[in-house]
Amino acid sequence: MTDVVTLRDLHKSFGPLKVLDGISLTARAGETIAIIGASGSGKSTMLRCIPLLEVPERGDITIGDETIRMNTARGGRAPADSAQVNRLRGQLGFVFQSFNLWAHMTVLENVIEAPVHVHKRPRNEVVDEAMALLEKVGLAEKCEAYPAHLSGGQQQRAAIARALAMRPKALLFDEPTSALDPELVGEVLGVIKGLAEEGRTMLIVTHEMGFAAEVASRAIFLHAGRIEEEGSPRQIFAEPTSDRTRQFIRRYLERA
Amino acid sequence: MQAYFSLIGFGPQGWGAQLAWATLMTLSVSVAAFATGTVFGVAGAWAKLSGGPVLRGLADAYTTVLRGIPDLLVIYLFYFGGSALLTRLGTLMGHDGFLGLNGFVVGMLAIGVVSGAYQTEVMRAAYLAIPRGEIEAARAVGMGRALMLRRIVAPRGLRIALPGLGNVWQQVLKESALISVTGMVELLRQIHIAAGSTRLPFDFYATGAALFLLLTTITSLLFRGAERRTQRHERAR
Amino acid sequence: MDLAFLGETLLRLASAIPTTLELAFVSVSIGLALALLLALLRASSVIGAACVRAYVFVFRGSPLLVQIFLIYYGLGQFDAVRESFLWPFLRRPWWCAILALALNTAAYGSEIIRGGLAAVPAGSIEAGRVAGMSRFTLYRRIVLPLALRQALPAYGSEIIIMVKSTSLASIITITELTGTARQIVSDSFRAIEVFVCAGLIYLAINFVLTRAVLLLERTLTPHARGVPR
Ligand SMILES: Nc1ncnc2c1ncn2[C@@H]1O[C@H](COP(=O)(O)OP(=O)(O)O)[C@@H](O)[C@H]1O
Ligand SMILES: [Mg+2]
Repeated sequence: MTDVVTLRDLHKSFGPLKVLDGISLTARAGETIAIIGASGSGKSTMLRCIPLLEVPERGDITIGDETIRMNTARGGRAPADSAQVNRLRGQLGFVFQSFNLWAHMTVLENVIEAPVHVHKRPRNEVVDEAMALLEKVGLAEKCEAYPAHLSGGQQQRAAIARALAMRPKALLFDEPTSALDPELVGEVLGVIKGLAEEGRTMLIVTHEMGFAAEVASRAIFLHAGRIEEEGSPRQIFAEPTSDRTRQFIRRYLERA
Repeated sequence: MQAYFSLIGFGPQGWGAQLAWATLMTLSVSVAAFATGTVFGVAGAWAKLSGGPVLRGLADAYTTVLRGIPDLLVIYLFYFGGSALLTRLGTLMGHDGFLGLNGFVVGMLAIGVVSGAYQTEVMRAAYLAIPRGEIEAARAVGMGRALMLRRIVAPRGLRIALPGLGNVWQQVLKESALISVTGMVELLRQIHIAAGSTRLPFDFYATGAALFLLLTTITSLLFRGAERRTQRHERAR
Repeated sequence: MDLAFLGETLLRLASAIPTTLELAFVSVSIGLALALLLALLRASSVIGAACVRAYVFVFRGSPLLVQIFLIYYGLGQFDAVRESFLWPFLRRPWWCAILALALNTAAYGSEIIRGGLAAVPAGSIEAGRVAGMSRFTLYRRIVLPLALRQALPAYGSEIIIMVKSTSLASIITITELTGTARQIVSDSFRAIEVFVCAGLIYLAINFVLTRAVLLLERTLTPHARGVPR
């Protein structure tokens, strides 16, 4: 199997706060990886390092077979070639907790924006593909609506269509349902589940343990910026070897 | 009443033609000044948002100073100061005597730099009001700086800035009356001339006020319309 | 750089500061009183509100300089005005400037007051009501303090604008700061130095005023201290 995303020994601090403390992880084609962990354990930071929304102080990020080149300048570490970063970002789809749709564009315009203006693909072709994607996430009839006129669940499904329109090698989800009202969570999880069944490569940060157990091929428990435990979802949820993982799972089950 | 209308009308004794021309001058110098201000505003906002400490300091000084001194003083500075510089320059190049600056140019520049200070603040605030997540989404899909500016920041920011820019425009339109001190025949200067020559100052100044009201009202309706058209995505249906 | 000239200029300009401040102070005081009256009138009746709206529309929609000219040159056109007891005032540039500035700032001031009152959260008023406050107590304890907090920064900017606006009085012959600067320039032909000096003085005045308003804001609204806005 080919490796789609590879992280090697990532370290990241915010000021004095060490957030990532040596993270290594490989996502192979077709894998769905669930990333769980307590709030503040560094899940978002790790995910955001992949498209370099955060720049790690140490470690390498490889998308496909291309490693992002970095420069260590006096002020810190920075990407050596911003064109390369933008090109690699164009091969990923990122879905944010708070959707982050562009408010001045309709749903369809949001979806076609990057393929047309970043990938420079012909508009007609992109529109057809975008409509098919909106159909798939159940939003075809809302294609002319502005984000402000949609429910949270609809906005997040539109954001997923936007990410899919990138024809991404991997999809990255950062707590895609955490900003949603409980009754809207299901519709978004349903869409993501469908994507997992298609065999897409996905990394999903989530607190929805039942969902993670159902769709993930692998689960990762993050604690204090390190991967505390890694394994099949069944193993992580049913028979964790680490005390910390066990505690986390128990506390989650008590709350639920 | 009839006497009044023949006075401001387009008949042989009427001042209508002059007033219409002067109104046009007021509008054009205002548009020119506002556009000049937009150039300064974009540069100022850019300097404040992404410049180094030196540029930021300069931009801060610019907005503080130009919003802290009277517009009239800025006009005098450009008019008399500019002419003094020009005369000195002329002398150097072998030209004798006084060189004056054109009132239109002075007005455009003076009111332009002042309005630029206000536009700087409007645009800076508009940029900061764009939700960070939308910028981040643009970065995440691989947009470079220029593309992001063109596709996301400029259209999104402009919509947010529109009401503020509308206020600055109103201010520019009203401040343009100050250009009359340079002798340029815009609306107020023309009113002044007519008031003097007819000895009917009240009639003419009231007419001048009414014409300015007309201009501010019509243009504010235009701005309001533009806001409504571009901001339909903000409001719930 | 001619330091002697600069020093002399600054001295002459400084002697005009009181005139500028007096123009600003008197017109802002009268204007504030008028603004409060307008706010009351607006709340009194539908007709009152319509009148106030028309007043605000006219004074905010036309240039201050036109308003000054209308009063200074325009009013004298009428015999009734020239024969009235007001003529001794209205023929003087000083009072015409004060009148125009005050009427103008009253229009902006009444809008600021309206904005302040409108910004009082309905929930705060409701909370006062359910606590059994009388209308008077509600206003004194809840509405006015909150409205003042909201209005003060805007009113501070209005005062600064008024200080700048006093410069227009120079156009009807009053030798306040800008008028004095004009005189010095016509004596010396050194426009840039003189106007820059005058600008510095305006900046200094406005700096002090900004600080004063900020200080007032802090003392009047301790509950807002340290809260990011
Ligand atoms: N931009 C930032 N600046 C400073 N601290 C940050 C920033 N982003 C995240 N942090 C801190 O880093 C830690 C990890 O954050 P995050 O990766 O968002 O955790 P998680 O997603 O697991 O809840 C938290 O303590 C958070 O406050
Ligand atoms: Mg997070």
